[in-house]
Amino acid sequence: MKRLVSIMMEEKRDIWLSVLFGVLAGLTSVALFGLSGFMISKSVLQPPLYIITIMTALLKLFGAAKAGSRYAERYVSHRATFTILSNLRVSFYEKLEPLAPQIFGKYRSGDLLARIVGDVETLQNFFLRVFYPPLVLVIVFLSTIFFTLFYSVWIALVLLGGLVLTGFVIPGLLALQQRKVKQGVRERRAGLSTEVTELLYGFRDLKLHQKLDEKEEKLLQIADAYVQEQEKESVQAAASQSLNAAAALSVAFVVLALGAYFVTIGELNGLFLAMLVMISLTIFDNAVPMAVFPAHLEDTRQAAGRLFSVVDEEPPAPKMGMIERDDAFSIELKDVTFRYPGETRPALQNVSISIPAGSKTAIVGPSGSGKSTVMQLLLNMYTVNAGTILLDGNSMGEIQAENIWSKTNVVLQENHFFYGTVRDNLKIAGDGLTDREMEDTLRLVELPFSLDDPVLEKAENLSGGEKQRLAIARVLLKRAPVWLLDEPSSSLDVLTEKRIFGHLHEAAQKDTLVLISHRLTGLEKMDQIVVMERGNVVEAGTFNELMERKEYFYEMKQIEKNVLA
Amino acid sequence: MNELRKWASEQKGIMAALLGLSVLMGAVIVGQAYFLVNVVDRVFLQNQSFGAVVPMLGFLFGLMVIRAGITYANARLGVNMASKVKQRVRSILLQKWTQNPIQTAIQGQSGGKVTVMMEAVDGIDSYYREYMPQVMKASIVPLIVLAAVSYTHIWSGLIMMVTAPFIPLFYIIIGIKTQKKSEEQLDKLAAFSGQFLDTLQGLQTLKLFGRAGRQRDVIQKSSLGFREATMDILKIAFTSTLMLEFISTLSIGLIALEIGLRLVVFDSISFVSAFFVLVLAPEYYTALKELGAAFHTGRGSLGAAEKIKAELAADEQPVKWGDREVPARPSVELKNVHFQYGEGFSLKNVDVHIPSCARTAIVGATGSGKTTLLNVAAGLFDPQEGDVFIDGRPRASFSESSWFREVSYISQHPYLFSGTIEENIRLGAPGHPARAEVEAAAEKAGLTELIRELEDGLDTKVGESGRGLSGGEKQRVALARAFLKKPSFVLFDEPTTGLDLKTEQILQRSINELAQTASVMTVAHRLHTIQQADVIFLMNNGEVEAAGTHMELMKSSESYRAMVQGGAAG
Ligand SMILES: Nc1ncnc2c1ncn2[C@@H]1O[C@H](COP(=O)(O)OP(=O)(O)OP(=O)(O)O)[C@@H](O)[C@H]1O
Ligand SMILES: Nc1ncnc2c1ncn2[C@@H]1O[C@H](COP(=O)(O)OP(=O)(O)OP(=O)(O)O)[C@@H](O)[C@H]1O
Ligand SMILES: [Mg+2]
Ligand SMILES: [Mg+2]
Repeated sequence: MKRLVSIMMEEKRDIWLSVLFGVLAGLTSVALFGLSGFMISKSVLQPPLYIITIMTALLKLFGAAKAGSRYAERYVSHRATFTILSNLRVSFYEKLEPLAPQIFGKYRSGDLLARIVGDVETLQNFFLRVFYPPLVLVIVFLSTIFFTLFYSVWIALVLLGGLVLTGFVIPGLLALQQRKVKQGVRERRAGLSTEVTELLYGFRDLKLHQKLDEKEEKLLQIADAYVQEQEKESVQAAASQSLNAAAALSVAFVVLALGAYFVTIGELNGLFLAMLVMISLTIFDNAVPMAVFPAHLEDTRQAAGRLFSVVDEEPPAPKMGMIERDDAFSIELKDVTFRYPGETRPALQNVSISIPAGSKTAIVGPSGSGKSTVMQLLLNMYTVNAGTILLDGNSMGEIQAENIWSKTNVVLQENHFFYGTVRDNLKIAGDGLTDREMEDTLRLVELPFSLDDPVLEKAENLSGGEKQRLAIARVLLKRAPVWLLDEPSSSLDVLTEKRIFGHLHEAAQKDTLVLISHRLTGLEKMDQIVVMERGNVVEAGTFNELMERKEYFYEMKQIEKNVLA
Repeated sequence: MNELRKWASEQKGIMAALLGLSVLMGAVIVGQAYFLVNVVDRVFLQNQSFGAVVPMLGFLFGLMVIRAGITYANARLGVNMASKVKQRVRSILLQKWTQNPIQTAIQGQSGGKVTVMMEAVDGIDSYYREYMPQVMKASIVPLIVLAAVSYTHIWSGLIMMVTAPFIPLFYIIIGIKTQKKSEEQLDKLAAFSGQFLDTLQGLQTLKLFGRAGRQRDVIQKSSLGFREATMDILKIAFTSTLMLEFISTLSIGLIALEIGLRLVVFDSISFVSAFFVLVLAPEYYTALKELGAAFHTGRGSLGAAEKIKAELAADEQPVKWGDREVPARPSVELKNVHFQYGEGFSLKNVDVHIPSCARTAIVGATGSGKTTLLNVAAGLFDPQEGDVFIDGRPRASFSESSWFREVSYISQHPYLFSGTIEENIRLGAPGHPARAEVEAAAEKAGLTELIRELEDGLDTKVGESGRGLSGGEKQRVALARAFLKKPSFVLFDEPTTGLDLKTEQILQRSINELAQTASVMTVAHRLHTIQQADVIFLMNNGEVEAAGTHMELMKSSESYRAMVQGGAAG
């Protein structure tokens, strides 16, 4: 909540303007109706014509002023609100970004989407209905009450009582009741959004396994529950509003009855009765919406909680270190032990790997042995639990992550492609890439695409091997001096793979290269082969060294020879 | 409006109730004004005692309570109607999406579709919650008020009659603009959602390419675009309210002036009538103004309805199915099959015969159409020419569910759902197999060691917000789905990518076991895994270039030989 208020205070000027115009609109509207009541009573007493003329003119003036200031109030308050919301979305993304990829271990994408769209949208009510309207209400009421004091203290007191009743007592009672029935709209909404997202993402597998009907059924249940929550909320709002409206009408009624009584006993001039009644009918127009104040307050409190809880984690302290050199650098892991957050089993245990600048290293080992984890650590996506990682002799703990990323060519085991065109997906590799360069690189990786060819979400319209080649094209265009490749060619046929590797090695001639691979062929050329198993480095050396040791690698080679025979 | 009306048409009862309430409301408003005016008149002009007005005050109070009650009932009916329609529309949308063929399903951005499901459906809410009740109210209440005023004082009635048409006219002009703008607004929101979700998935990639910061600007632009679109709509709404205020103030002023003059100059109207008219005039214009506001929201909902309609209208060419039951262990045959993606890549003249319990393999360069062929064989696509036969009959005569009961297709990029490992393996099988069977399937997929090491074993949460798995582990969880199901026709798209040789051997054994009771069709780049196949199809650029056993192809096909040798050589 505090966070929200401070974000809102950035639009201070608009807030004050909203209050100003809100008060103006409220007062002119009271004046308009009061005056019209007065005028009619006055007319009966046969006043001079010019008085009627002046009063009608005033009526028009108040009417115009009321309409104008209401317009201004709405315009300014909404402008401020939507600017705040827009900023909120961007700042949510900004805070989210450094938390990836760890954050995905906690939240599902559909949920995050629901937060940045739905919860942010809900927050509009905070400013529009919670933050400034009570202030406006109080000012308008107090001014009006002050005005009525001149005619009847009792009626002024009734109005004050009405304000307390409709503005505070009834909303307060409703708030107490609201606490009891916990509102589930937010959660239900997020749930639906999450499930729909998953339905869309996992569509193919749901279809193949004939689980679409089941999923649809489940989704419908969630959707219905969501609608029911909404319904509950709306009905409650309607009930609160009607209750408050009834209370407001009762106050107007008391004013009328009391006024009538005073007129009959001569305490009040009958001339003002109509005016006072009109005023009390009008002024409560402003108070009735206060009935939904607690609901909105609670709702926005929840939304803000949901929104900020995601990004509440302190972002890691900014690091200042840089890798000074522009060419290939060395990489060294010393006794690294690492556990994924929330895991008990270490993914890496006392891993030491030394990769000199400009050397070519292969990391091999069974599935799940920690190869990709090593790469994630080299990219500073996670921090190690023990041990150190040195890049060009500098400790990982001090180097800016952005600096590492800008100096590495990375192909992940699973690469993401963005919805758009082939060009959109290639041009993120660098600024000022010409079409020509991109096209040449596409040819190099044997992709027949043109730059304007569409790429669907998750590159669904590309074959497995095409995706991998597009990812390779992207790093070929980036031209950084260190290559980290995680099974870049697992979906390629051997002949294509060989040609593409030829190009890769050519491009990386002077660079440091780390290749994670399952295929043991072609490793003779590497300067070093690191064999991993169950989070440990079990062997490291050149091809020939490992073959002579006749241990793990040799055994794997033997198996390979058998199956290929 | 047609769609929105249609969705509401089943709610005749609610509509009738709304109508009744509106008539009652009109009567209450007139009655309230009547008693109010009379009380003031009696104490102010007729100098009656307080006791004389007490009954009137009693009636007045009663009417006020009824008025509040009607407002509540009106709101409640609207909410009811809106809920029913929203539930219905969501189910129509879901049905459409779940029935979409793959080719349609992969179009567009998921974030945008989520927006249709969430925001667009919620956007039609106000049509039923506000517009419908309000229209009902606004078309009846003013008539009753007008009648009451005209009866009292025909000239005021005439002024009301003359000024009223400006208001709806004005709204028609504005409403059209609103609809366009609200469609635009939803488009902007859909674009924002699509972008956000896509960015989220690719955040690591963006970081690695130093684009995460720049993506912030893109998001900001998208977010500001949404703000502008929203403000555009609101501006129209506010301006129209302003204009209406002016029109109604002007008209009320006119009435007041007319009455005032008559009271003062001509003395031709009584105080009671004058005050009565003056109390009712704002009610009259307020109802019309509310109609205006409701019209505005109604038009906004229309924009949302258009978006939903567009999503429902997305064209589809579903795979054709019939209702015959697929027999156990069917043979499958593709005859002269031709399939093309839109204007793009095409499979040409594909003839593939897979006898019952046969082992077949598909090999070929990347992009040659292996996955596409598998998709056609699995029943995800219908060929544009030629036909697929199951046990000698066209596939179109068999029922989809009975076909997929016999089939397991583990695609190239299987998706793991958010849930436990067990749930993900169970996805493959119908019914509720015993836990032991799930364990056996996991063992066949070479997952035993992993599961043993995990604290929660099979109950470990994986998928989107669970534990991350390594590439090969994911692949194996997906493969376990097929081992659990034990179908009679299995399609594997590169089952052993990303697996080391040892794990591959475990899987190979499991696949061999599966193959004793099922036809297995495997796409493979690692040729040693498919040498035992009964037939190997070599694909090249969408065509089957050669077919035969390993030995036959080694002899007959130059390109096959090259591929095998390429794999073996260092
Ligand atoms: N995000 C994560 N959270 C928790 N555990 C993880 C996560 N990612 C990987 N692991 C676990 O850490 C271990 C090492 O995973 P890693 O991805 O490094 O294996 P890998 O050697 O790359 O295997 P593969 O060849 O299958 O890709 C595995 O047991 C895996 O289940
Ligand atoms: N949904 C789609 N829409 C349009 N074109 C597609 C679609 N899916 C695949 N293609 C194109 O069809 C061609 C064949 O793709 P397919 O996935 O069948 O190849 P593949 O033989 O499986 O290749 P790989 O070994 O790389 O997986 C490719 O050029 C690909 O770009
Ligand atoms: Mg890996
Ligand atoms: Mg493929």
